[in-house]
Amino acid sequence: MLSSSTSSQGASAPSSLTQKTGVSLKPSYYNEILNNRPELGFFEIHAENYLSQGGPARHFLQHIRAHYAVTIHGVGLSIGGETPLDTAHLKRVAQLVHDVQPAIFSEHLAWSTHDNAFMNDLLPVAYDQATLNRVCEHIDQLQSTLKRQVLIENPSTYFEFQHSDRSETDFIREMIKRTGCGLLLDINNIEVSCFNHGGNPYEYINACSAETVGQFHLAGHTLDNNPIVPLKIDSHDQPICHNVWDLYQHALTTIGDRPTLIERDGNLPALTELLAEAQYADTLRAIARREKRDEYVL
Amino acid sequence: MNTSFKAALFHQSNAFYENIKGHSEDEKAARFNVYRNNIFVSLIDTLADIFPVTQTIVGEDFFRAMARVYVQKHPPKSAIISDYGDDFAAFIRDFEPAQGLAFLSDLAALEFTLLALTNTQEHTSLKGEQISAAFHNADDPARLRLSLASSTHIVAAPYAIGSIYLAHKNPDSISLANIQVEKSEYLLISKSNLYGDCHIVSQPEAIFIRHLLQGKILGEAIPDDDHFGLGVSLAKLIDWQLLTNISNA
Repeated sequence: MLSSSTSSQGASAPSSLTQKTGVSLKPSYYNEILNNRPELGFFEIHAENYLSQGGPARHFLQHIRAHYAVTIHGVGLSIGGETPLDTAHLKRVAQLVHDVQPAIFSEHLAWSTHDNAFMNDLLPVAYDQATLNRVCEHIDQLQSTLKRQVLIENPSTYFEFQHSDRSETDFIREMIKRTGCGLLLDINNIEVSCFNHGGNPYEYINACSAETVGQFHLAGHTLDNNPIVPLKIDSHDQPICHNVWDLYQHALTTIGDRPTLIERDGNLPALTELLAEAQYADTLRAIARREKRDEYVL
Repeated sequence: MNTSFKAALFHQSNAFYENIKGHSEDEKAARFNVYRNNIFVSLIDTLADIFPVTQTIVGEDFFRAMARVYVQKHPPKSAIISDYGDDFAAFIRDFEPAQGLAFLSDLAALEFTLLALTNTQEHTSLKGEQISAAFHNADDPARLRLSLASSTHIVAAPYAIGSIYLAHKNPDSISLANIQVEKSEYLLISKSNLYGDCHIVSQPEAIFIRHLLQGKILGEAIPDDDHFGLGVSLAKLIDWQLLTNISNA
């Protein structure tokens, strides 16, 4: 879809990716982005929203890609699924990656497809050896098809499996060691999951191997204050709350500065609101860089 | 295990709950319900995005209740969620509470067709000067063969679904109150610019366009009808950017 000239124009972009925070790309922002060209690190797209042969999504992506770095976030490959990856779907994702040449491709430690049905949610996996073997096989297949390292995102979950025999961070560490993938550390997911399961989000961050983290996600969540068990819901439809900003600062200190995304999927505000959150993240990153003299380069 | 997870999602079967950590069955159910709720709400929202006119006709509450039954019976088969709903129109046709609105299924089918067209590859249409030159240079314009974009087709709709659709798209220029729903109409379905588009055409225009799509030369494509105006019809095809090639037979 994209001409080679488009890709080469975007080739200088990775430096912006490491220096400045990015935001989610949503159709309601297309025209404003092209008219005003706001300054930011990158835009992140969901792969599955850009797999059509034509239409406005691919058209605007092509134009926006000419001016900005883009990262691609897969939401439908079902890496944690019990059934084999859908190779036809994987092929379409690989073509998109080829066309867009994203700075980062990421997916989730979750599943969504089973028995010829797509559940349109990121469903949890048990942390045991059988799941680890299966997840690693799928990541190997994904990385060899895309011919690049992928980042896998830690999930937000609402229950834990009885038969999980290791912690989420142990599972993720083994997964990374076996496949060579990186970690997309979603700070909001840590806040949500730790609240839902009574864990300590700071200890979660401390348990992550800094050198494996390739990107941070920041997002908002909601609280389902039901009388049986209050649960935080990873809704991506609210501003980022102070708990998540605090955790992010901790992650910047312990892990270091990384490309960071302001992730918003629902209840979309004016783009300027997301840019303001991105600027705030930039401020925290600058402070962390100064304090740590972190020399990490993507 | 994902089989029992899926059964719990769609059929309220509780067998899966034994896999969930929790102090009580209520807690397990509350935790699992987050996924059930996420999936149903997101898929119903998706259908509302794909079928906005259908939703407006029946109202949000009716639409969401109908969509919930559909989601339960027909979960998506693909991760490309914009493709969801290909058999929603067929489902509506058999959905008993919607039987009073005989046109609703056709309207939903029209909305799905237009979205599917939006997602297809764009075509390159002839520019005005290319069309003028082709006619100017032809020895006999009647022997010209006009090719239309491959996505173009004519639908003979038994109800005024095109009028309903266009009234919702352009509420300022078309009044829904003036539409006679029981009136049949011919629709030209095509892709213009980036989007699937629908135009209401007269019966002679529908015949003319069908002839062009069959590959007939201009002279043979013109219907034998006093109400047909060649100039007006060609102007519409040019305006809608549907002419992709003009050749001599």
